[in-house]
Amino acid sequence: MSENLEIPRANSIYKKSTEERKLSFLERIYLPEIFRGLWFTLKQMFQPKFTMQYPETRFDPPPIFRGRPVLVEDNGQERCVACGLCARACPPLAISMQASENSDDPKERYPTFFEINMLRCIYCGYCEEVCPEEAIVMSKDYDLVFSEREEAVYDKTKLLVRKEELKERLDYLREYKNRQFGSFWNFDEENNIHSVRNRDKRWETSLSLVEMIEQQRKEAK
Amino acid sequence: MFKEKGPDVTFSQPVEEADGLKTQEMIINMGPQHPSTHGVLRVELTLDGEIVTRAVPHIGYLHRCFEKHCEAMNEYPKVIPYVDRMDYVAAMNNEHGFAIAMEQLMEIELNDRVEHIRVIMAELQRIASHLLAVGTFGLDIGAFTPFLYCFSEREKILDIFEKASGARLLYNYIWIGGLMNDVPDDFKTDVSSFVKTFRPKIKELNDLLSNNKIFLVRTANVGVLPEKVAINYGISGPSLRGSGVKWDLRRDDPYSIYDRFEFDVVVGKGEVGTLGDCWDRYIVRVREMEESLKIIEQALESMPDEGDVHESIPKKIRPPAGEIYSRTETPRGELGYYVISDKSTSPYRVKARAPSFVNLSVLPAISVGAMIADMVAIIGSIDIVLGEVDR
Repeated sequence: MSENLEIPRANSIYKKSTEERKLSFLERIYLPEIFRGLWFTLKQMFQPKFTMQYPETRFDPPPIFRGRPVLVEDNGQERCVACGLCARACPPLAISMQASENSDDPKERYPTFFEINMLRCIYCGYCEEVCPEEAIVMSKDYDLVFSEREEAVYDKTKLLVRKEELKERLDYLREYKNRQFGSFWNFDEENNIHSVRNRDKRWETSLSLVEMIEQQRKEAK
Repeated sequence: MFKEKGPDVTFSQPVEEADGLKTQEMIINMGPQHPSTHGVLRVELTLDGEIVTRAVPHIGYLHRCFEKHCEAMNEYPKVIPYVDRMDYVAAMNNEHGFAIAMEQLMEIELNDRVEHIRVIMAELQRIASHLLAVGTFGLDIGAFTPFLYCFSEREKILDIFEKASGARLLYNYIWIGGLMNDVPDDFKTDVSSFVKTFRPKIKELNDLLSNNKIFLVRTANVGVLPEKVAINYGISGPSLRGSGVKWDLRRDDPYSIYDRFEFDVVVGKGEVGTLGDCWDRYIVRVREMEESLKIIEQALESMPDEGDVHESIPKKIRPPAGEIYSRTETPRGELGYYVISDKSTSPYRVKARAPSFVNLSVLPAISVGAMIADMVAIIGSIDIVLGEVDR
């Protein structure tokens, strides 16, 4: 415990006013005490600055930062397969989507609309956590401004962000997921859904998920 | 119908003084938009001149149906982000409390690494919360400088939290059965360097504020909360300890791994005035920060490097039918969660015993007879967070 707290300097003045400590001459002429106080604040001027000139210099969050959730755009289309897990996991029910099928597309399923109501979103990160496709991730955007309520409902045009721009977060996720599951659950073998998380290595070959899983099985054999 | 208790709700009749002037009691509203009520608290004050004769706190402006909302969630983990939003300046402690309640209900055992990280996080959060409480208490009374230094220190803690959890205020970090993710590799060095730099800052704070004569005059002998009154009202946390009652759940009903650490329970001693005045409640918070530092240091030393933070997280959280009441010590006092499970994936009922709510109930008892300017000091010293009062 700090020494200066054991015997507070003004200890006695409240119990009996007669016991009030007599001020010394220097304290009575008042100026030295003023300068002592000013010296404290003057010292702080040479300390490293803690604040940030916000609009000019912007805060660059680390990759772990949970900003606004975005959809990952991969090769010109969303990764999302509209499974609806994020909408189900969302505590404030901010996500809504409509699934549709497209047999021409190797991915087969896609959301016809995907909306996140940013007035409801609480940035908890559960959508990202449950997504089996790494299709919805938390970005670094933290200052969202709306002038109307309708503006706050983000649709696909606002949500889609190219994969390259989210590289830091995706890399972080990969490392974090590996750290999280790799040691004891071993999803690659146990769980089909999570095995597609490793598909990124071959995603550039524009194989469909089904093809990739088949290829994985072949390789495993 | 609910009938408001208290002496003399109606206006008193004008009293004619000797010199022919008529005086009358006046009712004045403090808040809900008052900067020193720490949120949207409205206190209805009946004043006789400048003396408060009656103070009635009106709450509910921030009511968000937390308890009902929990029942609407279809999964237990979804409750955790809302638990954060109860006491939003001490979110880690809230999560910790809820996680412990659920783990007791489901009989989950945690590994040492998780427990240590949780304790370090909870204690860091306690320091951050006390810094905010102390800083704004000074600010309410008119000391602006210490507030800024408190905030810069709090910022360092938030940086540590941000590195670990990805959020600065509402973390969603402590999950049922584990943690959201492991701490970064440089967590230990970060925390120990913070501990090292923070100790001298407490001394600085004492020089600036605790022993400041103006501050002493404003807080000593003001808002005296006697020991018996505090116990009768069910006050907990630093406000109770400020009245000289040695009661700390970390010591008296150890949860998590607090029984492994050595620390003192700080109590007020009435050093500058009466036991249980505003200064005592304030100084308990300042000294508690040092105790938290002690716990953090011990926890850092014994924290194992190995251990999976996801080891005990169940794949599906479906507790057996039953009920549990578990209590933890948050920076504001005893936070209890009463959870009833009906064997489904969502809680049947969640009741939170919020310390701020209970602590606020003593306000009418201790503010009678105070000057109107002292109301700010009294409200600041019991350190309420309106998010938790209203839930």
